[in-house]
Amino acid sequence: MRSKKRIIITVFICIGIAALAYFSWMIPFYVFETNDFDTSIEKLLSSDYLKTLVPLFIIIGLSAVGIILIVLLRRMLAKGDKKYSRFADVRTGKARGKAPKQKPAVFMIIRWVVMIASAFLLIWGGLIFGMGISSLSIPVLSCPWNTEEMTNSSCYYLSHLNELFELPIGSILLFFISTLGSIFVLGRVICGFICPVGLIQDIMDKIRKKTNTEGIKMNEKMYSAITPVKWFILLVFIGLCFAGGNFCNFCPAVAVSPILAGISTSLYVSGFLMVLVLMGSFFKRRAFCTVCPLGTIMGFFHKISLFRIKKDCQSCTECGACYEACPMGIKMIYTEREKADVTHANCIMCGECVRCCPEDNALSMAFAGKRIYTSSRKKIMSGTEKLPEHLSSYYESGGTPPKK
Amino acid sequence: MTIKRTETLRQRQDRRFINKETQTAAKYLRRLKELSGAPDGIEPFYDTLERIYVNMDHAKSGAFRHTVGTYCVMTPPELIYAAGAMPVKLCSGNYTAFSVGDDIAPRDACPLVKAVAGFKQTGLMPVYEDCSMMIVPITCDCKKKIAGMLSDRCEVVTLHIPSSRNDEDIEDFTVQLYDLMERLENVTGRRITYESLSDAFRMVGYAQYELSEFIRLKKQMPYLIRGSHAMAILNAASYMTAGEWGRALHKVSESLKMRIAEKKNVTSKKLPRILLTGSPIVFPNVKIPLLIEENGGIVAGDETCMGERGMWDPAVITDNSFDGMMNALANRALRPCPCPTFADNSQRIYRIKQLIKENQIQGVIYHVLRGCLVYDFEYRRIEEELGKLGIPVIRLESDYNEEDIEQLRIRIEAFIELIKLRQEPEKRSAVRTEF
Repeated sequence: MRSKKRIIITVFICIGIAALAYFSWMIPFYVFETNDFDTSIEKLLSSDYLKTLVPLFIIIGLSAVGIILIVLLRRMLAKGDKKYSRFADVRTGKARGKAPKQKPAVFMIIRWVVMIASAFLLIWGGLIFGMGISSLSIPVLSCPWNTEEMTNSSCYYLSHLNELFELPIGSILLFFISTLGSIFVLGRVICGFICPVGLIQDIMDKIRKKTNTEGIKMNEKMYSAITPVKWFILLVFIGLCFAGGNFCNFCPAVAVSPILAGISTSLYVSGFLMVLVLMGSFFKRRAFCTVCPLGTIMGFFHKISLFRIKKDCQSCTECGACYEACPMGIKMIYTEREKADVTHANCIMCGECVRCCPEDNALSMAFAGKRIYTSSRKKIMSGTEKLPEHLSSYYESGGTPPKK
Repeated sequence: MTIKRTETLRQRQDRRFINKETQTAAKYLRRLKELSGAPDGIEPFYDTLERIYVNMDHAKSGAFRHTVGTYCVMTPPELIYAAGAMPVKLCSGNYTAFSVGDDIAPRDACPLVKAVAGFKQTGLMPVYEDCSMMIVPITCDCKKKIAGMLSDRCEVVTLHIPSSRNDEDIEDFTVQLYDLMERLENVTGRRITYESLSDAFRMVGYAQYELSEFIRLKKQMPYLIRGSHAMAILNAASYMTAGEWGRALHKVSESLKMRIAEKKNVTSKKLPRILLTGSPIVFPNVKIPLLIEENGGIVAGDETCMGERGMWDPAVITDNSFDGMMNALANRALRPCPCPTFADNSQRIYRIKQLIKENQIQGVIYHVLRGCLVYDFEYRRIEEELGKLGIPVIRLESDYNEEDIEQLRIRIEAFIELIKLRQEPEKRSAVRTEF
């Protein structure tokens, strides 16, 4: 009975998404009088640039308001609860003090540098360094409406397959070779390291962590409920062009890259979706990545890509820290007890599981068979290797109680 | 000693209890001390055990006004520290208390529970009497009934332990921890804040850091420390604050590092390396590790919840909000726990295999306390699995008394001889690496 209910809800959501995608051009978010597809460095420096940025400011403003409202609402609900009202303050971000934190891993620093650099290159790279490699396509959600993009993005032709086959044969071959080549070499490292939408989501997550705000914890059930929606979005992504729609009006990535590059693009449903993406990724790390159609396509090739997540099943104690840390909710990584390769189709190679693994060498990331990042107990305990002074007097026997 | 006429029956019983209790504890402490190869810096741990069991003193709580008694590894000490109280592990291995509890608890109850019941009945043990509150995770039927029995002495909180470890179970356990938090606050009168909880994480984390350093050294070949000494150190953690224990352990680790530098080992002989697993070994019931090491074996690894595994897994904060920390605690309490109370506990086998590989174990002794059904159940499976690896296993059933000590000695002796026979003389030092 319960599963029947779930199926009905899923079907309704899918129909809603399909309708929204199909009629997306009828629901404007912000429309420019004229869509100006020309941009230059001079334009970026002039006041015209601010005009093109207006929709972005609206998006940021709306999502900030949304996030604050949700936090306040949760606070109100927590206060109203008889039993948990006393935790209302600590649970909604009003907290002093800092949780112990491990020292920043080199891998994570590299990841952030690469993410920021690639987002910068994908948005403004063409303007600064020219369009030398712009005919290459990589499957990344950086909008190809940004005509000055440094490399082309595969998403346009994947969502407009009818246009792809009208191209000359050379371009088609180049498209497939560069797309498949980058999937083979990088795989979903593209999601974790290169994608600008991923960067935006990670920034939102960082803000939440800095403010100690409680997130929304997804469990197995929620992930499995989302999976059919993910597949349906992929179907819409590929099939919409044949039904006469344009996925770009629906895609949230349109709201970032072209606007930042100084191209005034009118936003339709994508603007609203971007607000949702920002709010979602604030409460749940990489919320959009769980349904991203490009990621799903790249996931098909997870068995052949060169970056792998390796597991030494002997060292694993099944503590589940990797699963808790995983933004994509991959449970198999901690339940697996035989295979040495635990690369999953959903894995975005963010390395969070390796960072949070407390067993030496239990998890590692490998490129072409070579380990590049390995878990270590010493690293994970590095936040607590010394007893802080203010604790030593308090917690040793015979000490004096803290003055409070 | 002449019996004073003014003494009532109860007083006489109490005096006899105290005498017997302190004598057994002192005896086992002496046997531990007599064992060769104790590292420098082990004295604070001996002192703690002596203070609690021989002098029958209070667990020194320093700045803490309250102590909270806990059973089992599922109780998160972080919460208790955060509430401004000191956690004390009350799982007992006391023979004298056992004989008192034998008359109270049913015949088939496990000796650990009988000993707890005995302490409760006599009301003489300060560590038990001091507790403002006790937290009993319901890991078996005996624990459930003892929780009810203890509740007329002080406040008792039971934690329901689910039989599986799915996401929903972890979520339910988190809710239980929130409830526990509230009751802890009511007892200590101190609010648990984000700050105090993260400080508690730091302190327990520090102890775990030192523990992992210690275990890393303990794994070294040839051995730097005997298993019985390590067992005493880990047992003493029950009655010390995490910070104090971590500091003392740091000194032991330092002296072990010195041993590496000086190339000093516990013994130059190739002793049969034995893994001890099964029911908890609680001081003063250390007869089995003592018998192993007195008969020429070495307890190279232990997989018991009062030993290495009890504190091994850290609570990994993946989300630094308050709720994230509570989640980390619930996750740590259930997921990595190899307690046989869970329906599917195959991870314990993997854990044992891991210990066998890391410590190059040659034989496994499976300790079962009489009446400890859940551990007894798992013996078969482990025997089968280890049989595939060609590792000999024996099951030792024991009770909290000294009557079976000679029987145990004969079996352990024979087991050690068996391992010695199995290793070919020239290959004694061969390292077992693959399975």
